[in-house]
Amino acid sequence: MSRAGLSCPGCGSSDVVSDDLYCQAQMVCVDCGSVVSEGALTHEPFGGPEISYSRTTAVAKRPCLNLIKGLQRVTAICRILRVNKEIEDLSQTYFNQAYQHRSFIKVTFQKKEVLAGCCVLVSCRLLNWPLTTGTISCLLDADPMVVGAVYKEMVKILNITAPIVNVADVVEAHSQEYKISSLHVPEELAENSKDLTKRALALVELAADTWIVTGRKHIPIMMAAIYLAWQSLKPNKHRLKFSLEKFCQVAKVHKHKPALKRIAEIKEVLCKLGKEIPWVTEAVTPDNVVQQVEDILQHRYSLLRRALKTHEEHQVSCEDSLTEETAPSQTSELAEQTPNVSAVEQCEPDTERAQLPGDGCAVSELHSDSQESQDPAPGWGKRVLFAPPCVIHAKKRRVEQPEVKDVTGDEEISDSEIESYIRTPREVRDFALTQKILEIENS
Amino acid sequence: MDSSNDEALDIIITNVVATFRTRCHLNLRTIALEGTNVIYKPEVGKVLMKLRKPKITASIWSSGKIICTGATSEDDAKLGARRLARVLQKLGFKVRFSAFKVVNVLAVCSMPFAIHLIDFTKNNRPIASYEPELHPAATYRIKHLKATIQVFSTGSITVTGPNVQNVATAVEQVYPLLFEVQKPLKKKEKS
Repeated sequence: MSRAGLSCPGCGSSDVVSDDLYCQAQMVCVDCGSVVSEGALTHEPFGGPEISYSRTTAVAKRPCLNLIKGLQRVTAICRILRVNKEIEDLSQTYFNQAYQHRSFIKVTFQKKEVLAGCCVLVSCRLLNWPLTTGTISCLLDADPMVVGAVYKEMVKILNITAPIVNVADVVEAHSQEYKISSLHVPEELAENSKDLTKRALALVELAADTWIVTGRKHIPIMMAAIYLAWQSLKPNKHRLKFSLEKFCQVAKVHKHKPALKRIAEIKEVLCKLGKEIPWVTEAVTPDNVVQQVEDILQHRYSLLRRALKTHEEHQVSCEDSLTEETAPSQTSELAEQTPNVSAVEQCEPDTERAQLPGDGCAVSELHSDSQESQDPAPGWGKRVLFAPPCVIHAKKRRVEQPEVKDVTGDEEISDSEIESYIRTPREVRDFALTQKILEIENS
Repeated sequence: MDSSNDEALDIIITNVVATFRTRCHLNLRTIALEGTNVIYKPEVGKVLMKLRKPKITASIWSSGKIICTGATSEDDAKLGARRLARVLQKLGFKVRFSAFKVVNVLAVCSMPFAIHLIDFTKNNRPIASYEPELHPAATYRIKHLKATIQVFSTGSITVTGPNVQNVATAVEQVYPLLFEVQKPLKKKEKS
């Protein structure tokens, strides 16, 4: 199609056609073949191309945008957690270092965000600010396992050795979550958060001393401690009837199932100590131990010492095949040996004497049995008063068959054994038939 | 201090993993049809066969590669593997028992004392690592033995290594380190 008004500069003819054969539209003169004008090769957006020339030919490397965003995220996390300036600076340094490393430069955005959280976590640990991985995973809304994996890798790359978080440090921060003060709940259920924290801390320390904390996750233990602390601060019927579930509903926290087991374990320990209180005449059971919790916690070290000594006495007396006469003499020894016990000094030797032989007879049978049948290494849980639950209830290992010991690996294998693993032709036919029938039925 | 003490430590091997090859293609459908004690997993492409004596589970692939797990000693694993090869032979495949290799051994051991994991980690950085929030045990890796030891505060340890000899050596190596950080079983008297 020739265009009016265009003339070829080469030959002057006005027969100029548009040539669409190639990717670039051209106006070509028919007579001499010269190109009159050309279209644009690209369609550039208004205002120039999106990637500017100056940016593509820049000499100095500009900081990566994602690194800047990551640093801002680190700052945001620090502000949410209200940590001090040192921790913020340290976490930013770590994030800068870790981000540039080859293990983290090409990972997903989610992982980079988790990395930001881990940097904050490690800085808090180094500067003694109690923060758990649970909190960070909540903040980042990430799987705790992912957070753990990124944390381990980061620590390895940056060669940091961070001190380990103690449960006791975290108790205070955790107890703030429980909305159980008089502002949130009716007066009869309310507790001052300071008292609650103090008592829960004492319970957690007691649990740590008696093997309940080691190897367990922090939050269920703290939940159990806070629940028992709340019950024991005002141990009236109303509070004692409150189950853990109801308590969590009232305090507006998410209940953790393992906390029930921890409550049982802590109550067991409290019962063991409650038995040693001299002025308590009735038997201490998990149901009525909550009333004694205040006394137990106040004198816990002395009660622990007494319990351990009593236990030792039982063991010694069992080994000497104890009779009723020797028990009181050892009891009086025990009474003499603890003159430094402060409030417990008012102990009634009569009550003790009445208690111990009763315990002694029952326990002696148990001990003589266990000592004869168990060898020392796996059974240390049975000999000691306080032991980790996994040692007390140790799993029975399957007993090895004695014949297996003589196996060399190169023996003869009889045919009859092997036949037992192969189906007879008739069985094969039956099996195939059954399968076909089942297939037809299912389809 | 001698690494072995008066009472010998009981190292109990709980699992031995071994592999071998049959040097021929195996028809999994035939095995599933004509063998007893088999589970066919067509979605993964393998057959699981369980032997009664020794108690072994074998994963059989059609390429002829077989992995045996569940044995309690290296010789047991070899016997079980050979039995398995015989069964396959009986089923009609031209099996040649070759390339038997024990790949992994898992053992547990119980120390007669409790262990203070934080001190253990401090003394043995960076070989030992301990993250209580992630896993309750401290991990100790011995590079030249290719063994990994998981140390629990109750005194139990689990050891994994490429063979039984390495596992025993690993336990011997780690025992003195554990001994020096032992926690007294009784609570220390607070003054």
